[in-house]
Amino acid sequence: MAVTSELDRVSMVVLRYMRGPIFALIIVYAIGIIGMALIPGQDGENMSLFHAFYFFTYTATTTGFGEIPTAYSDEQRLWAILCIYMGVVAWLYAIGSIFRLVQNPHFLLALNEHRFARAVRRIRRPFFVICGFGDTGSLLARGLSDNWLRGVIIDINPERIKALRLRDYNVTMPGMCADPTVPKHLIDAGIRMPNCKALVILTVDEEINQRIAVLTRLLNPKLRILCRSSSQQAIEHLHSLGNVTIINPFEIFAQLLSMAITAPRLHNLNSCLVRSPDARLGEPIQMPTGDWIICGFGRMGQWVYRHFVQNGIKPVIIDPRAEDVEGAARVIASPANTETLKEAGVDHAAGVVAATDSDHDNLGVLMAVKAMKPDAFTIVRQNSHDHQIAFDAANANLVLQSSLTTARRVLKHLISPQVQVFIEYLRAQGEDICGNTVARLKATVGDQSPHLWQVRITPEEAGAAIEYLRAQQTLTLGEMRRDPHDLDGFIDGIPLSIARDGEQIMLPSDDQPVHEGDEILFSGTEYGEIMLKASLNNIYTLEYLVSGVDRPRGYFFQWLEKRFGRAANTAQADPA
Amino acid sequence: MNMERVVFGFVIILALSFTYAFVMGDVTDANHHNVWMLTIAILINLIATGLKLGDRSQVGALMLASSLVVDVLLIAARVLWVVYESETASGPSPESMANIVSLAGGALVASIITVVILVGDTLLSRR
Repeated sequence: MAVTSELDRVSMVVLRYMRGPIFALIIVYAIGIIGMALIPGQDGENMSLFHAFYFFTYTATTTGFGEIPTAYSDEQRLWAILCIYMGVVAWLYAIGSIFRLVQNPHFLLALNEHRFARAVRRIRRPFFVICGFGDTGSLLARGLSDNWLRGVIIDINPERIKALRLRDYNVTMPGMCADPTVPKHLIDAGIRMPNCKALVILTVDEEINQRIAVLTRLLNPKLRILCRSSSQQAIEHLHSLGNVTIINPFEIFAQLLSMAITAPRLHNLNSCLVRSPDARLGEPIQMPTGDWIICGFGRMGQWVYRHFVQNGIKPVIIDPRAEDVEGAARVIASPANTETLKEAGVDHAAGVVAATDSDHDNLGVLMAVKAMKPDAFTIVRQNSHDHQIAFDAANANLVLQSSLTTARRVLKHLISPQVQVFIEYLRAQGEDICGNTVARLKATVGDQSPHLWQVRITPEEAGAAIEYLRAQQTLTLGEMRRDPHDLDGFIDGIPLSIARDGEQIMLPSDDQPVHEGDEILFSGTEYGEIMLKASLNNIYTLEYLVSGVDRPRGYFFQWLEKRFGRAANTAQADPA
Repeated sequence: MNMERVVFGFVIILALSFTYAFVMGDVTDANHHNVWMLTIAILINLIATGLKLGDRSQVGALMLASSLVVDVLLIAARVLWVVYESETASGPSPESMANIVSLAGGALVASIITVVILVGDTLLSRR
């Protein structure tokens, strides 16, 4: 319904603009053709209507083939002069109107919307709708593209959509410059399509985010919504809509910080699994638990403070707007600078958190701390992606870039929801089990950062495994991940968990049988993924992995084996 | 080592060698091409095709296809030989000989493709 009205709007604008020129052309053509057909030629014969139309066509368009089919009489030439002037003027008028039409902003807008809606309608594979293409949106789109997943993008800012057009993604990502709080635009973006898997709301304005979420819930009660939000009020409101995942970058960061204090090895594993560039597997960050100073008590400052207090750290808070805070060692109600830092006791502080919403203030605090206490642990909040180079140079121990944290968490939810569950499981299990897992992973991947991938035991992704399982046999994880080069070894991939019938089996052992429909999360190297996929899709390799024997392929050799037993067929020197 | 591989490789490479042995020489000269050689090449190729039946892998399908091409072309060449031979008393004329040998040459190309696939598959079999 909404889509046809879009097309109607385009055709209506075209008609309104072209009505005049088309009438003019028809009238001029009619006069010219009828006149030419009525005026007698040199031999007294009239031109036929078809020839008159032919003459007028090449004359009015200034092609001018000459006097066809025979030389004209003077009366005909006189009429031809009139025809030339009439025709050329009418055509100029028509062409001018076409140019005005294609430059008309309403027409362009309608055409763009129509094209966008059509591009979205044609998507056959699963896709995600992203509202807001700022720092977070573009990081998210890049992440989706790296995983060959499609995104459909709406942003109200035309500059951002222009920026989108310049990106080289692996998949096409249709984008439209439009207000996402208008229901029609959301429908154009495909939120009602069955292959739309989720809507990700990332605009800067909390209120607009809420409005989009409410509208989407009304338009499609089942769609999964992921929304960035950091205000308590908005979060409660969003939760009431149902099936909404809230992404609060400050809370996520504070949780990670908490994890770094209480479970450093798990924090390290998590950083490696989300491919954080600084993290190296098996080298956890050591967070000191002495005296801490928090500069800036906004959204991030409060979350960090809450998690510090939970872990028994009493920080000093420096913020001009801060009042008496329960649990804090001291509150200094003035801006953070060298003086207030000194007053807060920076020379015996274990660490400093620079958490204001101004990047320049944060960098200033960082510089002051580096000068006064070079060995203090520094955590800094980076607000804008544009300041990346400055923050790289500042060399803080931990950086919270809220756009990056948000994009990573959204990707985790969309691509591999198993990972988060796995990390939470390890958290509950304690550091020893986590340490074992890290050691196993380290033995597999060496110094590289671990690569995560998911294998679905389905006919599309693991044809041979399905064939094997359906032929009544059981297949265990250990058999599946044997190395075809060396049957005693394994490919570079460790199964982290198996999702089966809505449940998740954590750290499955090699005896664990694989079932049809399982989703197995692996971590290892990219080469390991290629090898595993090859094994799972070649029935001969898979049978060899399980039995250690190359089965005969052709009918003749199969018959031979049946007839004369194994000795006739295989002189298997050594099964390895 | 796997007996299937040995037998399989032997037959396929032998088929290629015999086809080449027939094609070698001047295309138009009937003295350079032995009809027995052609017949043996056809027989070996038919055996090779038979051995390839039943392989469900992608590579197996491709090998079977190229093997069938060889069969068709070689049998066509042999039929042509019979037809041309019955026309004249002194064996096929130079023009007819060229036709027969070109067909066998086409079969040679398909045969080479089979062997290349065989070698590639063996090298890539990861063990």
